[in-house]
Amino acid sequence: MRPVRRALRDRTDSTGASIAQNSEPLRDDASRPSYLAQIPRRGVNVKPFRVSLLTILATGGCAGQQSVLDPAGRDAEVLATLFWWMLGGAVVLWILMNGILFYVSRAKEREFSRRTAELFIIGGGIVFPTVVLAVLLSYALSEMPRQRDLGSGLTVRVVGESWWWRVEYLPDGWDTPIVSANELRLPTGSRSEIKLAANGVIHSLWIPALGGKTDMIPGRETRMSLEPETPGDYRGQCTEFCGESHALMAFGAVVMEPEAFADWLDKQAQEAAPPTGTESIRGREVFAAEGCGGCHTVRGTPADGLVGPDLTHLADRRTLAAGVLPMTEAAMIDWLRDPEAIKPGVHMPAYGHLDDADLSALATYLLGLT
Amino acid sequence: MTWRGFLRGPLDGRTVARLVAGVAVVGALTAGAVVGFGLYNVSAKAGHWPGVSWVLHSTFRNAVALRAHAEPPADLDSADMIALGARHFDSACRFCHAAPGEERSATVRAMVPAPPPIAEAVTHWEADELHWIVHNGIKMSGMPAWPAERDDDVWPVVAFLRAVPEMNGTDYARLTRKPDDNACLMCHGTDGATDNAHIPRLDILSETYIATSLHAYAIGSRDSGIMAEAVSDLTDADIDVLAAALSAVSPQGQPGSRDALAQEGQTLATARGTVDVPACRACHGPWPEPLNTAFPSLAGQHAPYLEAQLKLWRDGNRGGGTASRLMHQAARDLTDEQITRLAAYYASLAPAKLNDTSN
Repeated sequence: MRPVRRALRDRTDSTGASIAQNSEPLRDDASRPSYLAQIPRRGVNVKPFRVSLLTILATGGCAGQQSVLDPAGRDAEVLATLFWWMLGGAVVLWILMNGILFYVSRAKEREFSRRTAELFIIGGGIVFPTVVLAVLLSYALSEMPRQRDLGSGLTVRVVGESWWWRVEYLPDGWDTPIVSANELRLPTGSRSEIKLAANGVIHSLWIPALGGKTDMIPGRETRMSLEPETPGDYRGQCTEFCGESHALMAFGAVVMEPEAFADWLDKQAQEAAPPTGTESIRGREVFAAEGCGGCHTVRGTPADGLVGPDLTHLADRRTLAAGVLPMTEAAMIDWLRDPEAIKPGVHMPAYGHLDDADLSALATYLLGLT
Repeated sequence: MTWRGFLRGPLDGRTVARLVAGVAVVGALTAGAVVGFGLYNVSAKAGHWPGVSWVLHSTFRNAVALRAHAEPPADLDSADMIALGARHFDSACRFCHAAPGEERSATVRAMVPAPPPIAEAVTHWEADELHWIVHNGIKMSGMPAWPAERDDDVWPVVAFLRAVPEMNGTDYARLTRKPDDNACLMCHGTDGATDNAHIPRLDILSETYIATSLHAYAIGSRDSGIMAEAVSDLTDADIDVLAAALSAVSPQGQPGSRDALAQEGQTLATARGTVDVPACRACHGPWPEPLNTAFPSLAGQHAPYLEAQLKLWRDGNRGGGTASRLMHQAARDLTDEQITRLAAYYASLAPAKLNDTSN
C-alpha cells in the first residue's frame, strides 16, 4: 500500500471517525465565525514513527555526491546559504501565520476592528513581503556577477552530445585542447572558466555540489565559472530534457588540489600507453579490426574518430557510459555487447557479433587505457 | 399487409425492411451453397462468363493507374539498368512471359488468365505503372509480387520492360549470356569483376563477406528481390562453396581518375570524419592495421551501386549479417551530397581486397 493511502486510512482509524464526520460543526460552536465551521477542532493524529520516517525521507537527499545541500565550492555554498536562509525564513513565517490563525480562531476568538484588519492586510500582506523579497532579491542579484566571474587559469569546454559529454581542457598558454569525456576535473583554489556548447539538441550542465546550472544550446556558446573548494568526487547531471536517455546522461565531477590536478592534466595530455600483456595486445587488435577508431580517438594510435568519446585515458575515469556504469570489466563487456540495453537510443552500435574471448580481450585493452 | 396491398399500395418502412432482410437471407444461403457445395466451377478450361473478363481487366488497369506514382531514377534507360533487368527477367519471369523472339510454352498458354508474351504485356503502361505491377504483383492472376520489401531494385526490370518491344532474340541472348553456364557470373561478370555500374563487383570481397551476404539474402535479413530470386535454390553448403570460389579471385584494375567529387569524398572518408559521421576508412580501409574481413572492401566498387546501398543504410532498409547494425549507426547522418562524394571516392580507388586497399 502506498504511504499516502496508508496515512489516510490510519487517520480514520486513530480518530475512530471519518474525516467528514469530524468536519461537522460541533454543538458548542455557535459563537465561532461561520467560515471556521469547516475547520475541525481536533488536530490530525500523526504517529511519531511516521514523522521520523518522513524526516529521513526528506533529508536523505541532503548529503552525498550530488546535493546542493552538501556544497563543495564557493558558488554552491552561496546558493546553499541562500537556501537555508529562505527555508529558515519560511519556517518562521509559517509558524507566525499559523500562530496568528490559531490565536484568532482558537485562543481568543473575537471581532477585530476595521483598522486592525487593514493593518494586518497592508502590513502583513503587502509591506512585509515586499521588504523581505526585496532583501532576498538584492542579495541574490548582488551574488550573480560573482557567480559569473570570468575564470582565471583553466578553461574547460564542455559539449553536450547524445547522451554524453565531450570535455576539452585548455590551461593558460596552451593552444591545443586536451580532449577527454564524461568527467569534469577542476582544481581548488581558483575559478575555472567553463564554456558550454551542444551538438544537435539542448542540454544543461549542473554539478549541484559545485554551483548553479547553465543551459547548453546548439549553435551558440554559453559560459559559466566554478570555484571548487573541497577536493572530492562529485556528480553532475544533464538537467534539460534532451531525448530518451536524458536521465542517463550524468558525469563524474572530481575536485583536486592544484598540484594533483596539474599532474593529472599532464598525464591526460600524453598519448595512450601501448598495451602490455597478450590479452591486452589482442584487445588492441580487435579494437583496430572492428573499426572502433572510426568513432573513437586513442591518441598515439591510428584511431582518431570524433563521433564518440575520446578513449585515450578511458580507465582513469570513475565511471563508464557517462556516469551510468562502474569502470569494471563486467560492466565494460555488458556495454560493448549491447549498449542499447543500458542506454536506450545510444549511438554506439552493439558489438554482440564478437565472441566472449574477443569482448573480454577488448575490455582488457580498454581498461588498460589509464 | 396482403400481397395485393404490397403490389399496389405505397411502401412503408417496415415492408422495405422485410424485403431487404428476405433478399439478404436468400443471398447468404446462395453464397453459402456456392462455397459449401462447390457449385462454382473453378476449372481453368471453363473460362469466364461473358463480361467477367472485361470487368476484371478494367478493375486491374484502373487499380494500377490509381496507385502507381513512384518516381523513376534519372538513368532508367541506361544500358546497365536494362542489362540487369534483362538478367533478372531471364531467371524469374521468362518462364511465363517468354523471352523476345520466343514462344510461351503450351502449359503457360493454358493458364487463365494466360500471361501475355512480354512485348505485348508491357504495351500501354507507363514506367511507374510497370514498377507498381512488378513490385505488387496482381492478385488472382498468377503474377507474383516482388519477393522483397524494398522497391528500388525493381527499376532495372522496368528499364528492361521499356526496352523489350524493340529487342530481338539476338539482343536478348547477348544480354543474358552466362559465362561458363554460371548464373552468378551472368550478372557479376567473369571473375566477378562486372563493369555494370548497378551490379556489385565481387572480386574485391572476402569469403566471409560473400558468405554472410548470401546467407542474409537466403533468410531475408538482407532485402533484395533480385538476389532473393538468385539464391532461392542454394543450400548452405552451396553458399560456402560459392563464397570460397568467388572470393578466390585477385582483383585487377587501375585506379580511376580522382575528380573533384572524389577528392571531397576522400576528405570525408579518410580524415577523422565529423562529429556525426565516422571516417569510412576505419572499417573499409585504407587503414594501417588489419581490419575484420566481415566488413566489405569498397575499393573500386561501382559508384551507383555504392550510392544506392548507402541510401538504403541511411534510410534503414539495408540488412545483412550481425555486424550490419554498425553501418546503420555510421550512415544515419549522411546527406545525399556526402553519399555521392563517398561513392565517387571509393569507386576511384584501385580494385583491392579490404586489407590491400590503398589510396
